Amino acid sequence: MTPYPHAREDRLSAKTGRGELIVSDLNKSFTINGQPRRILDNINLTVRPGEFVSIVGASGCGKSTLLRLIVGLDTEYSGELRLDGERIATTSLDRGIVFQDHRLFPWMTLEQNIELALLNTDTPRARRAQIVADHIALVNLKGFEKAYPHQLSGGMAQRAAIARALVTEPRLLLLDEPLGALDALTRVHVQSELQRIWMAQRSTMVMVTHDVEEALYLGDRVIVMSPNPGRIRRIVEVDLPHPRDRRSPLLHRLKDEILAELTSGADADGDAGNLVHLPSREAR
Amino acid sequence: MNSLLARFPVRLLIGLAAPALLIGWWQWQASAHIVSFAPPAAVGSALVEMLRSGDLLRDTLSTLARAFTGLAIGAPLGVALGIAMGIWKPVDRVLGPLLHALRQVPMIGWLPLMGLWFGVGEGTELIVVSMSAFFPSMLNSHAGVAEVERRYLEVGSILRFGTVQRIRFILLPAAMPLVLTGITQALAFAWIATIGTELLTGAGSGLGVAMGQAQMQQRLDVMLVVIGATAALGFVINHLFRRLRRSALRWQPSLP
Ligand SMILES: Nc1ncnc2c1ncn2[C@@H]1O[C@H](COP(=O)(O)OP(=O)(O)OP(=O)(O)O)[C@@H](O)[C@H]1O
Ligand SMILES: [Mg+2]
Repeated sequence: MTPYPHAREDRLSAKTGRGELIVSDLNKSFTINGQPRRILDNINLTVRPGEFVSIVGASGCGKSTLLRLIVGLDTEYSGELRLDGERIATTSLDRGIVFQDHRLFPWMTLEQNIELALLNTDTPRARRAQIVADHIALVNLKGFEKAYPHQLSGGMAQRAAIARALVTEPRLLLLDEPLGALDALTRVHVQSELQRIWMAQRSTMVMVTHDVEEALYLGDRVIVMSPNPGRIRRIVEVDLPHPRDRRSPLLHRLKDEILAELTSGADADGDAGNLVHLPSREAR
Repeated sequence: MNSLLARFPVRLLIGLAAPALLIGWWQWQASAHIVSFAPPAAVGSALVEMLRSGDLLRDTLSTLARAFTGLAIGAPLGVALGIAMGIWKPVDRVLGPLLHALRQVPMIGWLPLMGLWFGVGEGTELIVVSMSAFFPSMLNSHAGVAEVERRYLEVGSILRFGTVQRIRFILLPAAMPLVLTGITQALAFAWIATIGTELLTGAGSGLGVAMGQAQMQQRLDVMLVVIGATAALGFVINHLFRRLRRSALRWQPSLP
């Protein structure tokens, strides 16, 4: 296993914060067809420094919207978003994101894409090439440095996007279904990689996923959201040390509980169109 | 089957079939005396004569120089303005309507006015050729920048790109396919405008000038040589440029 490439401590000590995210009374509406429509309703959540939080919920319940607000791409909301006490008003290199689509620049090679993320960091120029190489190794893409994104498979591109987000060492990393495009086998592998990276790096991570098993395997807590409007329905503590064993009975029990929660929600709202789809069911 | 058809010698043979048929038909026409037509043999000897006297070379070089000077002036201006219009909306609002109105006038239509202002000569020709190269470059570059996908701009925002970084690392490369399409079109337009203005002004040397003179002297053979040279050169230049474009856009999965 590749050890995590470079020490984080020097950067952490230079910064005041350690990655504590506070979401309080967050509300978000979009105007659809001239009508304001509540998408996120009164979200309250505190993510502890270094914590891994998973978010699951039906399609369209506002998970991506929530991440876009936290990362600072969308600044129209009411309520408060704070990272280490600082109100979030725009994007910042302290907050990274892996989008649902990989969003590598098609006109650059894998290596160039990752190096570009360092453009506005204070990383010394002389060290950049090495850091980029380390991160490519970290996501197991050695040998593809000079490949263009269209020459990578979906899963490889997604791993490259993860490397691009990690290379800036953000205090808070947001992941929007980062493994959604992967086949079951690669997925399990990248999940373990992600856990290893997170354990080595100990930055705060918030990951959206449709896969309850994945949410439980990685998350210290799993946030279950319900749709129309998007609310936090339940927060499940996963009281198991990392690294975890996928076969742990606790994980299986919690999985059944969360699945029951998700499906009962759909029934109660009488909205069959919002039935959660769970790739993990096919994947097993 | 398809791979056989894609082989270069095979493609060359297939590509030459239509011109060969044309020459055959032409030979038959010429010998049947249906319209006034120079037979291929006469054209061949005119070609040899023009090559020997150096006239063809001189005219070709003049035309090439004119077309490429016009392209070198018009295309960069068009690309720069198109990109500026795509990036800064006010530039588009101020200049867009004027430019879109002006481009409705066929380039040859500017000749009389330019002739009055600058006299019939090199200057006027260059202005018209430059304008022909300018418009397609401008329009395509503008579209290229205006259509850059938002999701890539968001990545730039996440990585805290400043304006210059955004232009250099996102807008320009994303617009490059259309910018190059614009320049390819500019090349074709400049070539056409060059021959056209030469033909109409008849000043100095050039393939268009030679065509005009051949008409006055009723030299059908010379005229056909010049037409052939124009077609062949235009084809080769366009082909070379398309290959350049392809190698500049290696990163694209497949080219339209
Ligand atoms: N820019 C926008 N304008 C208007 N409505 C939007 C916009 N973006 C999202 N929405 C609406 O917000 C709701 C939540 O969308 P969002 O993308 O956050 O869902 P999601 O939970 O991420 O779903 P999925 O799991 O399918 O990715 C949807 O109903 C969508 O129609
Ligand atoms: Mg989403």
